[in-house]
Amino acid sequence: MPEQQTKLSEPRTLQTGIIGEPIENTKRDVPILEPPPLPENAKLSAIGKPYPRLDAELKVTGKARYTFDVDLPGMLHARRVLSPIPHARVKSVDVSEAEKYPGVRAVHVLETILQQSVLRDPKLERPSRYPTVRYAGQPIAAVAADTPRAAEAAAKLVKVEYEPLPHVTDLDEAMKDSSPPVFPGPTEMAATAGGGGATPGLPEHGNVRGPDKGSLAGGPRGDVDKGFSESDVIVEAEYRTQVQTHTAMETHGVVADWREDELTIYASTQFIGSVRDEAAEHFHLPKNKVRVISDFTGGGFGAKYGIGNFGLMAIYLSRKAGAPVRLMLDRREEHIYGGNRPNSIQRLKIGAKRDGSLSAIKLEAYGTGGVAAGAGVGFAASIMYPCPNVLTEEYDVYTNAGPCAAFRAPGQVQGIFALEQALDELSEKLGMDPLALRDKIDTSGTEDSKARAAQRRIGAGRFGWKAQSKPNSSSGPNKTGPIKRGYGVAQSHWVSVIYPPTACEVRVLADGSVEALSAAQDIGTGTRTVLAQVVAEEFGLKYDEIGAYIGDTRYPPGPPSGGSRVTGSLTPAARNAAYRAARELAAKLGPILKAEPDEIVFAEGKVSIRGKPGSEMPFREAVQKAEIDEISCRAVRNEDYDGYLMKGPFFAIGKQGIGGVQFAEISVDIETGRVKAERIVAVHDCGRPINPKLTESQVLGGVIQGVSYALYEERHLDAKSGQQMNANIDQYKMVGAFETPRIEVHLLEQHGGHSSTDARGVAEPANVATAAALANAFYNATGKRIRTLPMNPANVLAALRS
Amino acid sequence: MQSFEWVDATSVEQAVQLLGDPAANGFVMAKAGGIDLLDLMKEGILAPTRLINLKTIPGLDEIKVRPSGELEIGALTTIAHINSDHRIREQYPALSEAAGHAATPQVRNAGTIGGNLLQKPRCWYFRNENFHRGEIVHGDPALSGQNQYHAIFDNRTTSMVQASTPATALIAYNAAVELTGQHGKKRIVPVREFFLPPDFTTGRVTAIEPGEVLTQVVLPPLPQGTRSAYHKQTERDSYDWPICDVAVVLEMQGKAVRTAAIAMGWVAPTPRRASESEWILAGQNVNEERAAEAARAAVAGATPLSKNGYKIPILEAVVRRTILQAATA
Amino acid sequence: MKSNKFAGKESARSTRSAVLDTPHDASLDHGVFTGRLPAPLTLSINGANVTLLIDPATTLADVLREHLQLTGTKIGCDRGACSACTVWIDGEVAASCMTFALDVRGKKITTIEGLAQDGRLHPIQQAFIEHDAMQCGFCTPGMVMSCAALVEHDPNPGLDDVKKAISGHLCRCGTYNNIFKAVMSTSGQSRKENKNA
Repeated sequence: MPEQQTKLSEPRTLQTGIIGEPIENTKRDVPILEPPPLPENAKLSAIGKPYPRLDAELKVTGKARYTFDVDLPGMLHARRVLSPIPHARVKSVDVSEAEKYPGVRAVHVLETILQQSVLRDPKLERPSRYPTVRYAGQPIAAVAADTPRAAEAAAKLVKVEYEPLPHVTDLDEAMKDSSPPVFPGPTEMAATAGGGGATPGLPEHGNVRGPDKGSLAGGPRGDVDKGFSESDVIVEAEYRTQVQTHTAMETHGVVADWREDELTIYASTQFIGSVRDEAAEHFHLPKNKVRVISDFTGGGFGAKYGIGNFGLMAIYLSRKAGAPVRLMLDRREEHIYGGNRPNSIQRLKIGAKRDGSLSAIKLEAYGTGGVAAGAGVGFAASIMYPCPNVLTEEYDVYTNAGPCAAFRAPGQVQGIFALEQALDELSEKLGMDPLALRDKIDTSGTEDSKARAAQRRIGAGRFGWKAQSKPNSSSGPNKTGPIKRGYGVAQSHWVSVIYPPTACEVRVLADGSVEALSAAQDIGTGTRTVLAQVVAEEFGLKYDEIGAYIGDTRYPPGPPSGGSRVTGSLTPAARNAAYRAARELAAKLGPILKAEPDEIVFAEGKVSIRGKPGSEMPFREAVQKAEIDEISCRAVRNEDYDGYLMKGPFFAIGKQGIGGVQFAEISVDIETGRVKAERIVAVHDCGRPINPKLTESQVLGGVIQGVSYALYEERHLDAKSGQQMNANIDQYKMVGAFETPRIEVHLLEQHGGHSSTDARGVAEPANVATAAALANAFYNATGKRIRTLPMNPANVLAALRS
Repeated sequence: MQSFEWVDATSVEQAVQLLGDPAANGFVMAKAGGIDLLDLMKEGILAPTRLINLKTIPGLDEIKVRPSGELEIGALTTIAHINSDHRIREQYPALSEAAGHAATPQVRNAGTIGGNLLQKPRCWYFRNENFHRGEIVHGDPALSGQNQYHAIFDNRTTSMVQASTPATALIAYNAAVELTGQHGKKRIVPVREFFLPPDFTTGRVTAIEPGEVLTQVVLPPLPQGTRSAYHKQTERDSYDWPICDVAVVLEMQGKAVRTAAIAMGWVAPTPRRASESEWILAGQNVNEERAAEAARAAVAGATPLSKNGYKIPILEAVVRRTILQAATA
Repeated sequence: MKSNKFAGKESARSTRSAVLDTPHDASLDHGVFTGRLPAPLTLSINGANVTLLIDPATTLADVLREHLQLTGTKIGCDRGACSACTVWIDGEVAASCMTFALDVRGKKITTIEGLAQDGRLHPIQQAFIEHDAMQCGFCTPGMVMSCAALVEHDPNPGLDDVKKAISGHLCRCGTYNNIFKAVMSTSGQSRKENKNA
């Protein structure tokens, strides 16, 4: 049944609020075709259950096929040629020797470079066939050969002539007027399917682009100077965070198979739609001749959108060689140009009245995303707490380093590190407990702030938070010995992003089996399982009876696996399609069972007639009686019932966001600078959790990434050569088994009356508050503020000495 | 990784012959566990034309106690076996501990003590093929660059450090290596003298000569009542290179220390004995004050580079703690 | 860095001949393998003998994935630092990306594909499923091999034993807490220790 955007709606009363707290009745205008609202999870049979993921067995047996594993007949292997120097004009590229090497079937030299800023006026640069090299490790060309070894040997034979240019890798250096310029003039960076990008048309001076005054968050408001003059207390400090690389376990890559009739791309991606769109665009192909497949993606965290330079090269090679080409980045390349979270220098000043209410917030922030723009530190400062006078000015600073890419709550992780520490400092100056301060001021009345209030309360109880207004360093167990322990808390807020074109098709097949299809992907979030649970609910079936199919652009459009938006976008569409299919089945069964379609109930694997005990029969038997060939219903993600904060054709932001509050216990060895995250309590909301076990896993994972960011990770560049020194796994340090804290996760079930499932994602807020909570705990433990990340021994000892 | 010729050696003599053959066409290297070798080959730093497989030589992976009391560890003994051997655990706990914290469980199962001692520096400049092209950089790039993990002593011309952590313990135990050359000729070199300041061009860190095979590590017997301890200070515990590592071996006379051996790794080009500190402890009872005094002496004279000054207070704390840990062992 | 790079030419196509269940030919256990003419090599993989023609500069991971299409074993870093490539060699964990294929002649290799017996999942695999000890799943086969090796050696590991067993593994998705719970659940360990995970 074709989906129609309906304008017909009716007022309905929906229950809203946090389950376990007082529930309200809210009136909303709801499209009449929308299914009835779902009750709380406890009353449901498939939704809200902590089922094991459907593809778990495939993963634990090694049968899950990632792009990394795709092996097609006649497949060639590609090796890249990378620039060894950080800034240069490419004078010539000679591939003649490489082409002759035995086993080589194609060579491609890049003439376009993607995923970084471009000059507003291209004429400012000397015209050249080849893109300017702007970072050490930038891909220049690729070779496809019968074997990986042949490709590697042949790649070494590609001769590139460089004309070196001066370079800069350090953020502070790049900000100076005297710094070598990364670009010869002003630049633009378009947003991609992965988000990011930079506000167009901003001023640019040298490598510094901005200020961006936070137009997405409403822009400046009030008068900060006046606000500060009216403040009773002011806190002001500079914070520094580091560059973090995504380091997904599966690197970026594709297998590109160019054939006369169709281009098929297997991609390790978070958004197969973006891979298809960009491949079609670059190769001037109609989209219906491009197919992208991703059964499993081995992690993404924001970096895996679009076709990438590597994807371009693979497709060219496949076209030239007339064979499929496998191009997977190696670990070094992954660190260098797979994407990263920009670093930041944040000068944050907050003024407040004696009672804690904020009177002014001023933020000036700089960060480098290498040769890409996107170093904003989020809008937390503008949005999270009510404040009449706010000015945020964010600047991108270019350096000759690998391009940034959206990374799990872009900007927010950096911004909250500063904001939530400043709040902590404020609470101390005011003589208030940090939680009490937030209770006082986190009162915008939105569902988000209500959720956080509950989270603070619940978390404090579960953590064992005692009123803390003084650092612990001189009392109790911290009195003697070099190990100091402390507690800290921080909050996070993220937006609920929706992908409006999300669609799902549900089919009931002749034998009574049911399938659901959508071109979403699974990057570890459990998409198939969540989809199956929502569909199973409508039919009263078990979730593992549903065939949940994702990861192929031949299916109806699915949402990108980013911005924590899959669950929120997909589940209402899936539910609506399943609901409609169930109603259609009921309509067919009515005459056969001699009942009104409205009286037909699907529950517990059976079909029955309401009010007629003994009428039940197994679902499959009923479907076979209906003698259908196939029922197929497709539904699109309708607009939220209460509208959006912001809406475009491919992007919408819901009025209710997602967030959480995290409590951390830290131990600090003040002699050796060793810091350990001992225990975290994370209380989060995600609307209605479809599968609490999978949601909990997301939060656990987010906390681990937050701990890792706070304590260990840092990309190190050598200034002289522009090389990344730790482009590997042993010297780019991350949380392992021994660094893992005890983590307790608590999820709220919060109904908002926004959609037919009220489900939202949770992935991003999960890693936002952790670093701030640990930093606040550090202060509580030692009496010293640590405003530099990561909290490695060198930075810790410096902070303790300050 | 470039291809090469692989030869299964059947005896030490044959291996020595093949390694030292001046007529060999190309670059011949010995292979034990292959861990360091594979890393260097994959990074494009080394491209041997022929590998001599030592694992097919019988008898090189045994741990034996000589009648005279020395403990022999065959060069092909894995790090895992060193860690699990009960004799080493009881008699030379610092070595057992060091072995137990080296690398990952998987690598410990494959890596050998010989290969571990002969491994090339872990300096990230050395391990990056871009720094081995003449046109990029000369001399030791870490001196003026990213030297967070480099030497704080003796670092005027080179800052790379020798990477083996079991070496720190071996030096504190006054161990020696046996090198076998042509015609079965053996020379015994104290581990302390075996390490040389690493050369950036070749990565050479030891006194082994071409055509020699490291066949054994020998530890002298310890007097009754000897106490030892080892600590590897890292940024993360799961698997990490050290900021510094310290081994302390105390020969006791009653309640007092007769002689002390304090070895510090990853702070100087080769593992450094804290002689001044050893002298402070000699003949004394160990207490907090004395340990602190010895620790201060251990870091005196450090000449930190631009980014590794933080190692100084850490080294001091680790020396102090490890002395106390050894004293109460 | 003076090194005469091996000047041999590559064969045009890698020979992927693998004959399953060939009898073990002891004469192939020793010798000289020149790379130019790869000699046949017999390996024992998951209980079956396979004979391959491979170049000496081939790791066990490459043999498994490229020559035998056993893609369950993943490569995360190719340097032995992430342990995604973990397999068993004679029942002990090994990083297959850092193991020369020639070094496992005469040894029994077990990969993730060989862990389940007669269609029955290993208790560790079952526990991973129940405790959601995975997310993207790319590190999972290696993790399962390390955890399974642990419980084969020690059926009642404590939390610290589990951490040590997986100390070489990187899981970027952050599933460690659930992995601890999964492994501990397979033993008769007290509930108290499970809570500390």
